[in-house]
Amino acid sequence: MSTARENIFSSIRSALAPLPSRTPRPEIPPGAAEPCWLDRSADKMALFVQRAEATGTRCFTDPSACADWLRTQNVSKVCVPGPLERLKSLCGAFAEVVDTYRRADVDDIDAAFTPAAGAIAESGSIILSDESTPDRLAALAPWHHIALVSRSEIHLTIADALAAHPDDPNVIWVTGPSKTADVEGILIQGVHGPGAQACLIV
Amino acid sequence: MPEQKVELFARRLDPGVQKAVHDNSAAGTLKRYSILGGDYDTPDELRRLAGQIRQHSIEHLDTYLEQAEKSLHRHGAHVHFAVTAEDACQAVSGILERAGARKVVKSKSMISEEIHLNDHLATRGIESVETDLGEYIIQIDGDHPSHIVKPIIHKNRRDIARSFEREGLGDYNDDPETITRRARSFMRRKYLEADAGITGANFVSAESGRLVLVTNEGNSRFCLAAPRVHIALVGIEKVIPSDADLAVLLNLLGRSATGQQLTVYTEFINGPALTGRPSGPREMHVIFVDNRRSEILASDCREILRCIRCGACLNVCPVYRQASGHAYRSVYPGPVGAVLSPLLAGKKFKELADLPKASSLCGACNEVCPVDIPIPDLLLKLRNRGHEEHAPSPGTPPMGAFAMLASSPLLWRAAMQGSRAMNLVPLDKLPLPYLQPWLKTRTLPEWRGGSFRRWMKSRHSR
Ligand code: SF4
Repeated sequence: MSTARENIFSSIRSALAPLPSRTPRPEIPPGAAEPCWLDRSADKMALFVQRAEATGTRCFTDPSACADWLRTQNVSKVCVPGPLERLKSLCGAFAEVVDTYRRADVDDIDAAFTPAAGAIAESGSIILSDESTPDRLAALAPWHHIALVSRSEIHLTIADALAAHPDDPNVIWVTGPSKTADVEGILIQGVHGPGAQACLIV
Repeated sequence: MPEQKVELFARRLDPGVQKAVHDNSAAGTLKRYSILGGDYDTPDELRRLAGQIRQHSIEHLDTYLEQAEKSLHRHGAHVHFAVTAEDACQAVSGILERAGARKVVKSKSMISEEIHLNDHLATRGIESVETDLGEYIIQIDGDHPSHIVKPIIHKNRRDIARSFEREGLGDYNDDPETITRRARSFMRRKYLEADAGITGANFVSAESGRLVLVTNEGNSRFCLAAPRVHIALVGIEKVIPSDADLAVLLNLLGRSATGQQLTVYTEFINGPALTGRPSGPREMHVIFVDNRRSEILASDCREILRCIRCGACLNVCPVYRQASGHAYRSVYPGPVGAVLSPLLAGKKFKELADLPKASSLCGACNEVCPVDIPIPDLLLKLRNRGHEEHAPSPGTPPMGAFAMLASSPLLWRAAMQGSRAMNLVPLDKLPLPYLQPWLKTRTLPEWRGGSFRRWMKSRHSR
């Protein structure tokens, strides 16, 4: 094992040794990668909603509006975790509600709420992490996924978000519903992950 | 003499496939152009910055690779190294066998194509299923991807419907939505049954050890949600200094590849799932693969190691648009492949030494490259190398006959008239051995000879 490692490192070192000089690490000017339309003084929440909607993520601020949407989607079994009593009763009016996501129910649960770690205004992305979102499958397998985003956890830029969860072994940014254009370049939503992506800002 | 050259392939390509590849590529170029131009005042400055980040990274690869290894260890991931493709395959099957894994789901990764991992796993009796929709279709058809980000750009919905019918995924139905739903429910079972998920990585941050994975379909996320073991195969050149560099690189990658600000799922992983979680891998293994990358680093073409596999250079390339990906006879097609494939071929360099010639050096690939790789310069260096190593080159037919015709006006006129017949002759079937190598790689335009003389005459008679 260690010989492969040593071989590789010694080949790299001898490949680099003859270079007369090496490219220095460039200074990345603050905001270098921000789009020109980004207004640093913008309201983060308003920008997030605008960008998220543009990528196909529905945004709700009112739990009952969110529940109404699920009702129109003919959802029949919803996973609502932990202590979210209000959501449970709202969804209970039209669907079966469970509070833990079980693998055996993967074909039956057609909507799940999961807590998110935050969001990114610039790109309209939802941030999930192992710390915040215990069950990766619950946020991925159901057709409808609704992330619970706390208003105070919305980051303005991608650069800000990159620095936000340094100790989590797994962080994922979700920017819109799962999609493909593999068949003749035609856009189809809901390949492996949610076909309908939403967030409820609390 | 290689049997099949890029231009010959293009000439014989089914017109329907050619149109699909051309139109889809052209649409990709347009999307990239409008989002980059719309979002940045000086996108070229950003490309140069990204190029410098990547060039700096590969020129300090020893430092950053070692740092990445340490960071991954710190977070509980196992790190392995593989010198050759064969070593990499052995490393994967070794891990799988130790974990008692018989079923594997795979998220698209170019490096696993490069090392022919699926074939290796099959010989070990391990089932591996490609989960990206396009890659799955490639797998069941025993085909090869023809584009870095759009692997089935060369297939239409009818081809796919027939493959699905053959594989028992339902009756013939060529509606793209139905095709996608069928793949969804089929893959569900595969993810939930799988013992391990295999992915690549788009970047590795040395500072945090984070592997970055991007997909639109969500298949890589599923590979890291259902199975209990995660194996990542990563080319050693993917390392970058820190997470902060990703702001530049991710913003360029999505826009260059698919015209998106960000790819739908952008995942950062540096260890197994937190303990006590109901889903996510218990074990994480990262295999850093050399497979001649350190040789490329030692060569004068090391800039190609900056590549972030966005596919923009394929989309914009006039040769790729005509020829499609299979013409390049290797895992990496298009301009990037014309540089990378011969270099990765090692002793078989000569067999692919024609690829750097399949370019008009128009420079478009360099202009769209998010990491500003001077591809035309690299192509020229490789042409030289091919020349020095006496790689076979399409010969030039003797010029004597032409000289004779050109020096006699009478013969010339007769030849001009007679040559119209050439339009009717299948050139590559002519029994003229010395012309064959030349014709194999070139087509003649329709003969309209003699018009210059007619034009001169009409000018004089005015
Ligand atoms: S060479 Fe540049 S343009 Fe081509 S795939 Fe690589 S990064 Fe993209």
